[in-house]
Amino acid sequence: MNSLYSRLRGTAVWRSVFRSGTGDTNLHRSLTVQQNIFLHLASVKIRRRALEFGVTWYLGTLSMASFVILVVTGVLLMLYYHPSVPQAYADMKDLQFVVSAGVFLRNLHRWAAHAMVVLVFAHMFKVFYRGAYRPPREFNWVVGVMLLLLTLFLSYTGYLLPWDQLAFWAITVGSNIISAVPAMGAKIRFLMLGGHTVNANALLRFYVLHCVILPLIAAVFLAVHFWRIRKDGGLYTGDKPRE
Amino acid sequence: MSFRVRGRRVRKWFFGDSARAFGTLGVLLLALLAIVPAKDRFREWLGYQKEYEILIRGRTDGVALAKRFQSGVQQIWLPERDVTDRCMTCHTRLKETSLAGVGQPFRPHPPIPHSLTEFGCTICHRGQGVATTVEEAHRSTKAWEEPILPAQYSEAGCGQCHRDGLKGTPQLNAGRVLLARYGCVNCHRLVSPEGGASQGTDRPPSLKRIAEKTTREWIYFWIKDPQAWAATATMPNFGLSDADARDVSAFVISQSSPGSIAPAVATNDAGAAAGAELYGESFCASCHAMQNAAGKITGGDLAPDLTRVGSKVRPEWLAAWVKNPAAYLPGTMMPHFRFDEKQIGLLVSYLGRKQDSYFPANIRLEPATAAQIAHGQKLVLEKGCAACHEMNGVARPDNFAPDLTAVGSLPPARVLLAPGVPRTLPDYLAAKIREPHAFGREMKMPRNQFTDAQVEQLVTALLAQTSRSQTFPAALRRPTPVNVTYQPAGRAGQLMKDLRCLSCHSINGTGGSMAPDLTWEGSSVQRAWLLDFLKNPNTLRPVLIRRMPRFNLSNDDASTLADYIMTAYQTPAFDREEVDATKLTPTEASRGKSLFYGKYACNSCHIVDPDNDKGYIGPTLTQAGTRLNAPWIFHWLKNAQALRPGSLELNWNMNDEDAWAITAFLMQQKNTRKPGGER
Repeated sequence: MNSLYSRLRGTAVWRSVFRSGTGDTNLHRSLTVQQNIFLHLASVKIRRRALEFGVTWYLGTLSMASFVILVVTGVLLMLYYHPSVPQAYADMKDLQFVVSAGVFLRNLHRWAAHAMVVLVFAHMFKVFYRGAYRPPREFNWVVGVMLLLLTLFLSYTGYLLPWDQLAFWAITVGSNIISAVPAMGAKIRFLMLGGHTVNANALLRFYVLHCVILPLIAAVFLAVHFWRIRKDGGLYTGDKPRE
Repeated sequence: MSFRVRGRRVRKWFFGDSARAFGTLGVLLLALLAIVPAKDRFREWLGYQKEYEILIRGRTDGVALAKRFQSGVQQIWLPERDVTDRCMTCHTRLKETSLAGVGQPFRPHPPIPHSLTEFGCTICHRGQGVATTVEEAHRSTKAWEEPILPAQYSEAGCGQCHRDGLKGTPQLNAGRVLLARYGCVNCHRLVSPEGGASQGTDRPPSLKRIAEKTTREWIYFWIKDPQAWAATATMPNFGLSDADARDVSAFVISQSSPGSIAPAVATNDAGAAAGAELYGESFCASCHAMQNAAGKITGGDLAPDLTRVGSKVRPEWLAAWVKNPAAYLPGTMMPHFRFDEKQIGLLVSYLGRKQDSYFPANIRLEPATAAQIAHGQKLVLEKGCAACHEMNGVARPDNFAPDLTAVGSLPPARVLLAPGVPRTLPDYLAAKIREPHAFGREMKMPRNQFTDAQVEQLVTALLAQTSRSQTFPAALRRPTPVNVTYQPAGRAGQLMKDLRCLSCHSINGTGGSMAPDLTWEGSSVQRAWLLDFLKNPNTLRPVLIRRMPRFNLSNDDASTLADYIMTAYQTPAFDREEVDATKLTPTEASRGKSLFYGKYACNSCHIVDPDNDKGYIGPTLTQAGTRLNAPWIFHWLKNAQALRPGSLELNWNMNDEDAWAITAFLMQQKNTRKPGGER
């Protein structure tokens, strides 16, 4: 079994895909991680202690998992949804009544979104109370706060898309709150809604924010977030580093 | 003990190490995910389609039905009408007439003039068309506020577009009549899509000179409970307390302008007996009802009940009124009978004795104080009395009650709740009409005594008040019938107005429905007969009670009227003078006679020979030759509906030869003897 695996790793195709070579040394192991675009965010080595449930309660991983679920279900939902005034609510109804597993798809997206907000908050509390924000992780804490805000913005923009009464009034109230910002409140509100009332332009703007702009920004911040975990010495376990 | 040991072993097997735990959780998640395709597989509508397949399998026409059946989600999609109806997914074969008698959801739709695929279902029935589950499609939810209309209100669907009366919607039509007849539209605005507001037909009298007509005691009794005075009263009950009724009556009398009350008329018992005869001869009962000795109410319902009129009106007012009603109330429906002073005395003697011994003895009102009058005025303003009745010093309030133009689209969430009333629009409307005060004592809306059937009719008419038709493309919109008000011209016009011909007859779309339509009367009859009829009317139909009063017309007035009718009311379809004499030969007439009694069996409804014929439905034709014009008879036989829409005459599709033959036969009928004895 092992010899088959090492023979496979020796083939030209494998070597062309994975640039880290065939050796079994620690160098090779670290190269395997570093030379891979998907793995290079992760640590080469990780302490066994850091994988224990009690250390993190897996809250960061679970937040990321919710994000992945949201991206997958969100893309599928985009196949059925038109961000237009006459069509948006009708598309909800189609998802509910005629699309195969449409209700499951929509509910999965909805509950994963709720879960993500809760998990991100919990993650932040855990980090805060364990003191994991302290140097050298203070920058990653700031990145984390940005990610929390992005999560909330994603949640808020997604709320308008069903285009029902609940959505309409929630966004009306929310945008009115924004107009209370001193000096430029009304301007921000106008920019956000693309007009003075919640209407077709607001729906389109929220759709683009929800499906393109905010997820891309979140992805960038996530990348930085994970990369900084490695750079800042791996997951914070609270243990004294070994001398 | 052993249980705990076993439990520990099981836990170890499934969750012993992280690999086992991961595997176990993975399998559990997979099992949970299996619910998704399972739910898809057991969708509600699939069950109904399977049921349908089983239903038709056992039938002799099963193969043909199966061939026409389409499985899967079925929908009617009409984007320009905002319709996406998937009802036919479960109601699989709405057009399959052979399935009549089968239970829902497979029962075929009753025949209607509209194509199901052109209009869909929810335009008429409401409900959530896009839904494919029973609950969501039919009932009201937070995500869909328009539940399906209960079956007994189905006609409301038609009324959304059809503002004129359809034959197939008796309940809707009756409800609309009630809305106008009971004066609902005096307070509530009810506007048709094209902008015409509905007008009441209850004709509430002006109260500007009420003190001349009646007493404060009568007003007190009446406003407390109008139906206690006359069961047919259309005025609603405001639930006034004794003190409130005392104060309102005080104000109503105080605002009345002092009029010139004519001297009292001498009345006597002998006059009363002769007056009863005159009352009958003048056909007062065509419009007025009266309770007879047996306690039965007989007479028409166009005008007030006169059972106890002697306790209501002052005799001097009654005399002035009978002499010329329009002098007191210019807009009255009552004709100006040309009674002489002696006849007026007789009628007043008779009607003045129509009294209720109970009523005047039991009401004693102290003279009103200024405070009571002021309180009465306040109540009159609060209750909106002036929305119906003209009064001195009180302006007619605008928009006194909520606008009902779009009441049929009221979302259930905005419906007020009363204890014990389900939160649906039809139930709310019915409860509000039955007992407005159940929604709070301070409610302004008064109560009418409607029967359950009338409430259902009213609710149907109100549910039809949606604005749905406004969203339709122009080609589909139904024009609202325009209220034409026709007024004949000249001296004859004045005469017809004075005689209130249009209270009973209709001409050019204006007028009452009690008596025949006179739009083409000039083409129909001969002048000599008409003149005779105006001076001395009798009935043409044996089964009907004669209702046309004698107006005591002078010769001059009668001939003016006859001339006008003969000249103005002619159809452009033919000339009444144009008779082809060759068609009206005795041979033709005898052929016509055999057609009359044979092929067309006209004698089933009409009488020509008063001794032998038994047709009591249509007008008697014994005098047809002196009454009617030959071309009229001919065209009537060809197509009666074109001359008088709504006539009971059948559409014979008769050829010209037969029609002329029967015309020749009828023109021979010049019998002067009264048919079947006058009733």
